[in-house]
Amino acid sequence: MDAGVIDIAPWRLALALVFALAAGGCSLALKLNLGRDILIGTVRTFAQLFLMGWVLGLVFAVDSPWLVMGLFLIMATAAAHTARGRITEKAITYALPMYASMAAVYLLVTITVTGAIIHAEPWWKPQYFLPIGGMVLGNSMNSVAVALDRLFSDLRARAAVVEMKLCLGADAAEASADEVRAAVRAGMIPSINSMMAVGLVSLPGMMTGQILGGSDPTLAIRYQIVVMLMIVGATALGSSILTLIIRRRCFAPGDRPLLR
Amino acid sequence: MSAPNAPAHLALEGVRFAHCAGRLILDNADLAVPRGAFLLLTGASGAGKSTLLRLFCRLEEPQAGAVRLSGQDITALPPARLRRAVAYLQQTPAVIAGSLRENLLLPFRFKAAGNEPRPDDTALAALLESLAMGDAPLTQEAATLSVGQRQRLCLARALLTRPEALLLDEPTSALDPESARAVLAAAESFCLDGGGTVVLVSHAEFAPARVAPLCAHLENGRLAWTRA
Repeated sequence: MDAGVIDIAPWRLALALVFALAAGGCSLALKLNLGRDILIGTVRTFAQLFLMGWVLGLVFAVDSPWLVMGLFLIMATAAAHTARGRITEKAITYALPMYASMAAVYLLVTITVTGAIIHAEPWWKPQYFLPIGGMVLGNSMNSVAVALDRLFSDLRARAAVVEMKLCLGADAAEASADEVRAAVRAGMIPSINSMMAVGLVSLPGMMTGQILGGSDPTLAIRYQIVVMLMIVGATALGSSILTLIIRRRCFAPGDRPLLR
Repeated sequence: MSAPNAPAHLALEGVRFAHCAGRLILDNADLAVPRGAFLLLTGASGAGKSTLLRLFCRLEEPQAGAVRLSGQDITALPPARLRRAVAYLQQTPAVIAGSLRENLLLPFRFKAAGNEPRPDDTALAALLESLAMGDAPLTQEAATLSVGQRQRLCLARALLTRPEALLLDEPTSALDPESARAVLAAAESFCLDGGGTVVLVSHAEFAPARVAPLCAHLENGRLAWTRA
């Protein structure tokens, strides 16, 4: 146990299940049909976090850049897989560019933060790289899912307008520019909104964790500012790059729209 | 199937097209429409008349055969150039948010317009006047127009790209008599005065007043001339 942190005994941790039970109760009372999801989510929360705790302990002990990068890529793949699962459109294939772009963009953002801003030595130091990378991936995964789902649904809903522009001589990029803008905006807005609320409405997880761990609150705040800006940048880059890449897959050769 | 003694402007050669669900729309279809002709294409609802128009502007791709513009396979043409040469007017008119002026000038915002000079307000107003929309100010929001007025606005916008051919998909099906007359008169004028080719899809009987149309009928994937 760290000197500054109050330990949570196993039976007290089990007490936290009362919140999952409350969620299950709401689902039952209001016939939300979410009981199974809440149960699976709770089990996964325990299993995945204990597994990650064990893996992190191992990675910290081995202290190898290859292991850190390998774990980051596994996390990026899981993030891309989760984001893909939230998108309902099945007519367009986009798995490979999505996985590759998410891994590349978020790796670059995480290296920039640990190497240039926090200035960790070395830049892949697992105690910094993996938590920071996890925050980038977790937040951006949601923005990418929102952006792509919006892109696909708008291209279907506004197919007549997109076709009209094509018929007037627009290329695929010009014909779908409004839909791309709307999709990227939808992906970015949650992270921008959280910048508005931070410190007033919410004390974010990283800052709370550092304060609970006994850090100086002003240092915790500096870290949190970096994290907030990093998340806005990552969501902007992630949603923009992926939306632009995957938009191309919504058109067949000859700028023929595939969604209508 | 070709009209006698005339080089084709728009042509289908052995075209086969079936929807993903497997419904056959065109089965080894041939069609040759001479430059400057006015083709009336009839057929029952769902026969594939709209699909045929969409093949000409490459919004659909045939599974076999070739679609040609002035003898050239359209897959060899840049899509934007093809679609400015062959203007397709959708059955349901689509407008963008903004004024009539913004809608009319939309084609000039695209790269394909190059350095083409934009028509001024006088030219735009004259064009609307020719389509019996002279009373609509250029500053009016397009969203406030009736369906008939939107169809005329879309026709005016298509004409501003100076196409060689007009593909009209049931252009009068939802229009009031005044709008229908204006649209058909403009199509006839495009053909007679401008020398352009018109393919007009209709499932209803329609007799142009000023041109002698070619007539073709589409049924069970087969095209047949009813008047050539």
